[in-house]
Amino acid sequence: MARAVDAARRVTGVESRRWQRLQQLFDAALLLPAGDARRTFLVQAAGEDAALAAEVLDMLDEDARENSLLDRDVTEIAHSMLAPSAPPAGARIGRYTVRRFLGEGGMGVVCLAEREDLGSVVAIKILRDAWLSPARQRRFRDEQRVLAQLNHPGIARLYDADTLPDGTPWFAMEFVEGLPLTAYCLAHGCPVERRLQLFRQACEAVRYAHALAIIHRDIKPSNMLVTDDGSVKLLDFGIAKQLDALDATSGHTRTVLRLMTPAYAAPEQLVGDKIGVQADVYSLGVVLYELLSGRLPFDLSDLTSQAAASVLAAGPPEKPSSRTGAGGGAVAGGAAPGRSGWADLDVLCLTAMHADRERRYSSVEALIRDIDHYLGQEPLEARPDRLGYRAGKFLRRHWEAVSVVTAAVVLGIALSVFFTLRLTNARDAALAEAARTERVQRFMTNLFRGGDETAGPRVEMKVTEMLERGVLEAEMLTSDPPVQWELMHNLANVYRQLGRLDDADALHAKSLERRTAVRGHDSPEVAESLVAIGLLRIDQAELEEGERLIREGLALAERLLPPDHPAVVAARLALGQALRERGVHDEAIAILEDAATRQLASNALPIDQAEALTALAAAFYSAGRYDEARSTYEDVLERHRAITGGAHPLVAGDIASLAAIEQDLGFYDRSEALAREALAINESYYGADSVHTADNLTSLGRALLYQEKYEEAGIALERALSVQEAALGPSHPMVAEAVNELGNILAMQDRFGEAARNFQRSADIYRSVHGDGHYFVAIALSNVAYMNMKQGFYPEAEALFRSVIALFEESLGADNVNTGIARIKLGRTLRLAGRLPDAESESLAGYEILAKQANPSISFLRAARDDLVLIYEATNQPEKAARFRAEIAALDAPPL
Amino acid sequence: MHDNKKNDRRALDDLFSAVYEELRRLAFAVRRNEQAVTLNPTALVNEAWLKLASSPGFDVESPLHFKRIAARAMRQLLVEAARRRLATKRGGDGAQWVTFDEAVHREAVSERSLIALDAALDELAQAEPRQAQMIECRFFGGQSVAETAAALGVSEATLARDWRSARAWLAQSMRHAG
Repeated sequence: MARAVDAARRVTGVESRRWQRLQQLFDAALLLPAGDARRTFLVQAAGEDAALAAEVLDMLDEDARENSLLDRDVTEIAHSMLAPSAPPAGARIGRYTVRRFLGEGGMGVVCLAEREDLGSVVAIKILRDAWLSPARQRRFRDEQRVLAQLNHPGIARLYDADTLPDGTPWFAMEFVEGLPLTAYCLAHGCPVERRLQLFRQACEAVRYAHALAIIHRDIKPSNMLVTDDGSVKLLDFGIAKQLDALDATSGHTRTVLRLMTPAYAAPEQLVGDKIGVQADVYSLGVVLYELLSGRLPFDLSDLTSQAAASVLAAGPPEKPSSRTGAGGGAVAGGAAPGRSGWADLDVLCLTAMHADRERRYSSVEALIRDIDHYLGQEPLEARPDRLGYRAGKFLRRHWEAVSVVTAAVVLGIALSVFFTLRLTNARDAALAEAARTERVQRFMTNLFRGGDETAGPRVEMKVTEMLERGVLEAEMLTSDPPVQWELMHNLANVYRQLGRLDDADALHAKSLERRTAVRGHDSPEVAESLVAIGLLRIDQAELEEGERLIREGLALAERLLPPDHPAVVAARLALGQALRERGVHDEAIAILEDAATRQLASNALPIDQAEALTALAAAFYSAGRYDEARSTYEDVLERHRAITGGAHPLVAGDIASLAAIEQDLGFYDRSEALAREALAINESYYGADSVHTADNLTSLGRALLYQEKYEEAGIALERALSVQEAALGPSHPMVAEAVNELGNILAMQDRFGEAARNFQRSADIYRSVHGDGHYFVAIALSNVAYMNMKQGFYPEAEALFRSVIALFEESLGADNVNTGIARIKLGRTLRLAGRLPDAESESLAGYEILAKQANPSISFLRAARDDLVLIYEATNQPEKAARFRAEIAALDAPPL
Repeated sequence: MHDNKKNDRRALDDLFSAVYEELRRLAFAVRRNEQAVTLNPTALVNEAWLKLASSPGFDVESPLHFKRIAARAMRQLLVEAARRRLATKRGGDGAQWVTFDEAVHREAVSERSLIALDAALDELAQAEPRQAQMIECRFFGGQSVAETAAALGVSEATLARDWRSARAWLAQSMRHAG
């Protein structure tokens, strides 16, 4: 018996042999007639082992019976064991008293409950059988976390959450009474316009969720309730997904597939592809189809996901208009749309639910815009002729090639490069953060700067709104102090990266205070805060104080934690950064080299090792040690390739850094090639319409600009701008950056008036995002002033420069590099206006500010020297003129 | 090896979720007479397989392998549920839950007998893992004789004989336990 031998090999000897004996005797006895014959046989066969005989006899008894549990159908057992249960009326859940059972959802029981002290009624969702699997608990808490972030009149909101004494989690949310959207429209006989208005309300709620990086993933009419007063509420975020870059590897997403409703699911959902906001756009499109035509676009019932996906891929459904009889059969009452109205509705609806997500509305916002266009009787953006019109206009745009680069224009470029470099650094920091820390932090930070698998939501977000919500949320989290501090800490870091340094300061102070109060000064949390505040001080240009704090934090961390602990490594990296900012390059490099070596020798995650090397590479870059910077970035690039498999945004980021090096070294063709490579990766990763792609287009445009390929540069930048405007809305900092760049191109072509308008627009955007006093506003205004100067509008230029200088002094300090640059520019304006004494004082002041801090060869200092030479010559001060002329000559001389 | 274990745990965990949600959904539909649905484990597992097999990253090798995991999941699911119910009945300090499924007219399955079956099955697995697996597949997984025989690599005749002896032994073992 091969089977028995096989089994015996894997099983403990005695019991296995005994079981074989039992089975042999049982089989043999069964051949005998029931009764004494069997008993006699068994007693004989078992010999001395009376227990064996008794056991087989018991087995024979059971064999004769027919009511063993095993004879029943497991179906019955399932019925008995899994019978639904719910808390009875009167049961207490937290501060609530259960009134009645409302229903049963995917994972939870929902009850109506009342909070007696307030008399308010809520719906309480309780996770059934929480013990069953961690996956369910995770999902339940995910839903709760998602709801906690949503504060919108169109979304049923979260009020409270806790666990029962036995650990069963529950949460209380707004109780919504109403009809599903489709049923409501049917019951009230709503005309098309009313249907669109209701639908638009639902879209607004979805748009809001997207702005918080939340995809609903289960949009359908039964999750969109219309209340008596005609307002729409979006419900059930039970399978919603918070976009999160690193989550992509964890595989949670696959379990969701079976839970959604196939009739409304996007094709990419059906086949289990990565999904983004466009999946919700698709579902909204199906709902709209149903609202317009009275039925679903496809019959997908009884199909597997794959089969359903191929139905969707086979082509669009009938136009909604053709299903409404003479254009309105399903939609009664009101003013029926005319022929062209229905044509627009067909386009609108089928664009929203296009099987190819590239051809869908890229965001809910775009869908809403077209609904508004329809309601306002304007042409749709989705209309093909309109797209053609725009493309034609784009191609017809004529770019003049202007090859003369004046010193003045170089000033403009240098300014914008300085500025975009800052932004890029902030993004790098965000990515580094993302790779290192907790989920919450990853989410928070990623929201702002890169690193996510799916473009879209974050870009539509109103930054300020979202942060303020976050702070409020953190304030409310008193039940979980460590998470509260962590959240505050992270929010502070995000504020810092956005340049809202005062807000960052206040939050860090609060977080530090609470951490110190509870954990005591000697704790890793306090060390973390000190390091973060140190980095903040550096941004605030208090370099020495920053370094001091970081050193204090590092010392504390080193005392409390093992030397290779991530917090210690992070503190070392911060110190390296501080020293780099202070220009103490050698020490910065030494510390970062040490940190990187330790990371490489430890068993740190490869991604953390790469991060340390990235910091080192940046330090080399800042020190002007381009060869080492290049080889280190190349090393990082290889590592990121190995970690990510190649075509990943991290890889694109490294390639973009290499492009920046080549650009600095003046190898613009190489820089251009690298920029194109980075662009290609991000384009295939995020799609052509993503902000990340637009970012690369911006750098590519810059590389082209340096090669004086104005036409190509213009096209790249226009493309970047149109993507960003579409994705981010017209007033977003990244749009401002692109507009600024276009201004530079126009300036290079001596189209100063147009350039000035672009710079003015950047200034307006920054003002609305960051407030009047932010230095970004000053940078943009300074460019406007410069264009005024170029056009000879000296009084306007002077007035504007003076207010710019005041802004810089207020926001960054009187000795800041930007203040110096603005004063140099003012100096030139005054010189050109013929006001030489005033010009001298400004140019000189700017010169002195910069000479202390900057590389002597930067264009601003050169411009200041040129101006001073001219001023002193004109005012008969040859000795002073000679001093600056000598400096110019020294710099122009070939290096020894 | 460890990774495999982890993956198995993960797959089991996901399946717990999947099987459980489906069971609940169907049980609820049956009770409300919403549609003609029977709570049939075979159909259930097939459905779960169809849905899960098409999802990415779901690396179960074959339907057979999947069904084995599903049967295991079902067993652990039901036994855990029985333990919970028993604990609640004993008046633990948990929330007082009421069963409001009055439509199940049959004689209720006792939690204790299911728990005893689980223990006996563990014992059987010590001696003859294949037969324990057979019970799991046939009984908890609702698989047919042919399917189970194929999964275990034995003839249907052998399976029938093994089933009879294993059934008898488990029944006497449960009786002794009870």
